[in-house]
Formats: sequence, C-alpha cells, structure tokens
Amino acid sequence: MTLSRRSTLQALAAASLTSTFGGRAFAQAESFRIGALNPVTGAGAPYGSGMQKMIVAAAEMVNAAGGAGGRKFEVFSEDTQTTPQAAVLAAKKLIEVNKVQAVLGTWASGVSLAVIPLANDAGILHMHTSGAPALSVPPANAKGLGYRYQATNDRFGRAFAEICQKEGYKRPATMAFNNASGIGNTEGFKKAWEAKGGKVLEAVVYEPNQPSYRAELQKVLAAKPDVIVTGSYLADTTIILREWFQSGETTKWIIPAWAANPDLVKAVGNEVSEGLIAVDSISNEGSEAFKAYDAAYRKVMNQDGLSNVYAAMTWDMVVTLALAMEAAGPGANIAAINAKIREVANPAGTKVSTFAEGKEALKKGKINYEGASSVLDFDQYGDVTPDFSVSFVSKGKIERKYVVKI
Amino acid sequence: MISFAELALNGIVSGLVIGLAALAVTLVFGIARFANAATGDVMTLGAYAALSGAGLTGSLVLGGLFGAAAGAVVGLIGYWLVFRKLGGRSSVAALLASIGVAFMIRAVMGVAFGHGQKVFPMPMVRPWRILDIRVHPNDVNLCAVVLVTLAIVFAILHLTPIGRQMRAVADDPSLARVSGISPQKVMMALWALAGAVSGVAGTVVGIKTVVSPEMGWELLLPAFAAAILGGIGHAGGAIVAGIALGIVQEVATPFVGFTYKIALSFVVLLAVLLVRPKGLFGTVAGAR
Repeated sequence: MTLSRRSTLQALAAASLTSTFGGRAFAQAESFRIGALNPVTGAGAPYGSGMQKMIVAAAEMVNAAGGAGGRKFEVFSEDTQTTPQAAVLAAKKLIEVNKVQAVLGTWASGVSLAVIPLANDAGILHMHTSGAPALSVPPANAKGLGYRYQATNDRFGRAFAEICQKEGYKRPATMAFNNASGIGNTEGFKKAWEAKGGKVLEAVVYEPNQPSYRAELQKVLAAKPDVIVTGSYLADTTIILREWFQSGETTKWIIPAWAANPDLVKAVGNEVSEGLIAVDSISNEGSEAFKAYDAAYRKVMNQDGLSNVYAAMTWDMVVTLALAMEAAGPGANIAAINAKIREVANPAGTKVSTFAEGKEALKKGKINYEGASSVLDFDQYGDVTPDFSVSFVSKGKIERKYVVKI
Repeated sequence: MISFAELALNGIVSGLVIGLAALAVTLVFGIARFANAATGDVMTLGAYAALSGAGLTGSLVLGGLFGAAAGAVVGLIGYWLVFRKLGGRSSVAALLASIGVAFMIRAVMGVAFGHGQKVFPMPMVRPWRILDIRVHPNDVNLCAVVLVTLAIVFAILHLTPIGRQMRAVADDPSLARVSGISPQKVMMALWALAGAVSGVAGTVVGIKTVVSPEMGWELLLPAFAAAILGGIGHAGGAIVAGIALGIVQEVATPFVGFTYKIALSFVVLLAVLLVRPKGLFGTVAGAR
C-alpha cells in the first residue's frame, strides 16, 4: 500500500470527524432521546397536537422525578402529516440526525406500517396507536420492538360484532376505506360475526378522495342491510353519510369513533347523524393514572382529557418506557429496556399509577403499571385489550350508552 | 341488481367535477404551455374563499363568486410574481415552479383555516324519481354551474377581443407579438380566467365533498388525465373527457370493483392516446 498525501489527509480528517462526533455522543450519554412522531396535521390533526404535548409533558414529569435509570428524557418532535411518505422522512430524520432511541405515538396504520421497518433496522423501540393486525406479527414486529397502545382493528371488529348482536341487527353489510386499518375493522367484524353464526351480506372496499361514493353506497344498499359497519375516516364518512341520507334509505350505522366524532356530527347535521353508533376504545377512566394524565392534559390543552384517547396512550408510552428504563438500571441498552416493558406493565406486581410511584415501588420489587389509556397488559405481540364504549348520536350529541368488554 | 343508468348518472356528475378542474388546467396549458400543478391548490383556495363568502352573505351563489374572484386574484399574483419571470425558460422550469406555488398555497391554507375538514351548509334533499332513476337536485344545480362556466369561458375566448388575442397567442406567440398584441396583457387575462375557473371548480368539489387543505392537490391527477384526454388547450374537450372518464369509472364498477375503477380510467386514457395521440379534440401542435 502506498500512502499518498491525499489519503493521509483523508484519514486524518476522518479521524478528527469521528472524534468530534464521538465526543458529542459521549457528552449526551446522560440523556435518553425519544422521538414524538405524531399526526399534527392531516386526518389525525384533531388528536396529534395533544398526543405530542402529552409526550413532552410526561417526559418533563419523569425528568422532574429525577429521570429514569439515571437518565433524563430529551424529546424531539415531528409531524407525520398523517401520510406515510412524510412520516418516513420525519422518522429518518429522528433516527439518523437526532439519534432517538424510541419513536413514540404514530397514528394511522399506514403511517405505523411505514415507520416500523425503520425502527426495526435501527434496533429502537416503536410505540404506536394504530390498529392494523399486521403490526402485531413479523415482518412488521419481527424483533418484538413494537408496542401497540390501541386496540387492534381485529378487536374493534369483535366489539362491532358484540354491539350488532346486542342491538339485535340481523343483516349487516360493511364498507371499508382501502387501507390496512379500514379493511382490518371490517374483516375483524366479519370473522367475529360469522363465529356467532351470522352472515355479512355485502362487503365494499372503497378508494379515498373520490368526488362521490354513490356507486359504492348503491351496491351496499342493494343487499338491503339493516346495519352498515364501517372501517372509515372522517372525510369519506362525511361524504358517504350525506349521500346515504339523500338516497332516502334508513339503514343504521356502526362507525369507529375516530370517524364518528363531533366534527362529523357538525358536518352532516343533527338529522343525518341521528342514531349513529360510534364505537371507541376507551381510556382507563376513573384510574389514578388517568387522573394524572387528565390534569396534565387540562393544563396544556385546556380541554377535557376524555376528548383525546390517543393522548392518554402517548402519556402511557412515556411512563412505561421510563419505568422499564428504571427497572433495567443505569446505562441499559435498548434490548435490556425492551425486556423489562412487560415486566413493569403486566401483572403480577404492586399496582402503580405514576412514574414516581413506580420508581419507589421498584426498589422493593415487581410493579404493574395500570395506565391512563387501559390497564395496559401487553400480550405476546405487544398488543393491549382496552374496553370499548358504545355511543349513540342523539340530537347532535354523542352520548355514551354502555361499555363492551371483549 | 345495480342500475346502470344511475351509475352512468353518477359518472356524469363525478366527471363534471373533474372536467371543470381539467378546464382550468387546459386553459393554462393551451396558452402558457406548461402543466400548472398549482391548479389544484388554487381550487382549494377558491373553496375556502367560497366558504367564507357563503358564511358572510348566506348565499351559496355569492360564495361561489367569491371563490371565482379569489381564484382569479391568486392566479394573477402567481403569474406576476413567478410565471412571468420564467416566461422565456423551459416548460419544466415553470412546472417545477408551479409545484412550489402549490405547496405555498396549501401551507397558507393550512395555517389560515386549520387542517380539520369544513363543509358547506347544504340542505339535505331527497332525490327526484324520474323513470325510476334517482336524480339529485344538487347534481342538477352542479351541472348548471359547470355549463354556465363553460359558456362564459367559451364566450370570452371566442366573442371578445381579449379572447381573440389569447387564441392568437396560443396559435403563434411571435406572430401575435408582431401583430401588435401585448403578450403581458393576454397572459394576465389568461391567468385571471384560469384562476377563476379553478375557484369555481374548487367550490363545486367543496360542495360535493368536504373542504380541506389537501382537497385540490388530490384531484390534480384525474384533472390532468382529463385535460390530456380532451386534447390540450381544448376547453370543451376537457369537460367531455372528464365526463367520459367519470362514466367509464362508474359503469365499470360492477365488473372491476371500486378499487380498480381509477386504474381503469387511466387504461382508457392510454388506449385513446395510442389511437389519437393529440387527444379527443386536440390539434397537432407544429414545431416552433
């Protein structure tokens, strides 16, 4: 090998660069960097800001309690724009530039499915609020680094089937937005409904951004269903319901609450929305953890904590992560932290509701964090099973009637 | 059994919406010679303006005029600040600049009006039954709006001096210039007209669907398809192509399903262009 002046210079430059970056990394070893990757704009906008602010608030709370496992959180916030393309760019920036060790709070299955491979490749944790069943299993969750704080669409489908039975519907049909979440809802419903011995009369899958959904409606209504179960979002549901009402049919609707929310009622009016059934996974209301979250949410957002189930999930993400770090001890790597997540969240152990409480209890033994979003017991896939609320729209108000457990 | 007549009717209505957007695209393409990617976002802006206008005056018609006016103003601003400067450059430069303008408008809409959806306050009406086919009063109004818009555009292009000058510039810019036609004046009229048509198109889409900052951008691809199918620069062709694509999409759904109907309209586009490369009504542009 001949050593030219140029290659020597290159080597020197490389060495000095490495040491610069190495030095920086060492100086920041005290902090644990997390990426708050939330739908601040786009379809998730009603929830995104609150989700992001709760990550920041929970991180501040952990830092105020002396940090987790000797480290303090440093939060980097990004917007997914509720589109996979923008989310991937933002996740790359968080992982490669900010060197985050966990990505928290992606919303919408398309977004989470796009981001989770990046987290897998980087070997970091990914906690999300998406429902697609594919997020449970390989390849998406091949390394077991993914945790879902929301019910799977499959579980939503099971809840829909329970409600159908309870309300006495006999002839259901389904309409699904063509993505993993929409189809996951209606397929989950079909599976659960057929297991109860029922039959789904018609199943339509439709495309986003159409000027009209009348042809789709025509096909579904031709089967004469008594109820239509959807896997849909706000904008398409608005258009579909208006066109449905104007067709003069009187079918009932069961719609996930991320579409059947106050914005929908406002958009279609009281007459059209009368009697719609909105189904949502519900927070662990009445729990101590929920009270802590609710207080933080009211302080930052000036709104009731109940108005944003996803913000309760992102709050819990930070708390479980912090408790796992505390349990894993100072300087633990991602694998060691990951190994502790179920240990601090699932039974058995002392039930705790806040980080500070859990930190104390960890000195004595095992803990079981009962979260603000659900009791937060992760199964083998990293999924939780929250309860579901069933609300009816009456005179423009969405009123909860009962709770379904699956 | 799904009624094909109703499907075709749905197709006509969807197609009219796309056709109006295609009209705005084709006007700019015919004279300024580039695909204006900001058309969709000028539509969005028109829809928001119409929404504000309708809110202020309580009248949808006045709101629509607000939308048209706002579209015209933004069209002019875009021309004056961006496209005028790129006059002598290649059409690719103008296309890229128009994408930039599109992002700008969308971002401003997002900041000004928020990202949540908004809807026009429309009364819910039951359809009429004509020969057992459901016809929606709102759709009849929409057809009327599109036809009136088309008539106005046609009248401006063919019955006014500025329209004659526009067509002269479209045919041969240098010949037009030596004949004493001021290109700047013609261009300003063109951008105002295209902007106003975009504003109306956005209002119509907004009334039919929901208003959000992304609505116009998402309609751009079908609008381009219809403009190309109709023959670049041909106003009537854009509307006819929009309707044709709409009908093909809807009537095909019993056979191909709802997922593939969009792909199907592009298959039709390809097939037509193979047979008639200049589009349905286009004339071959000579080398300049």
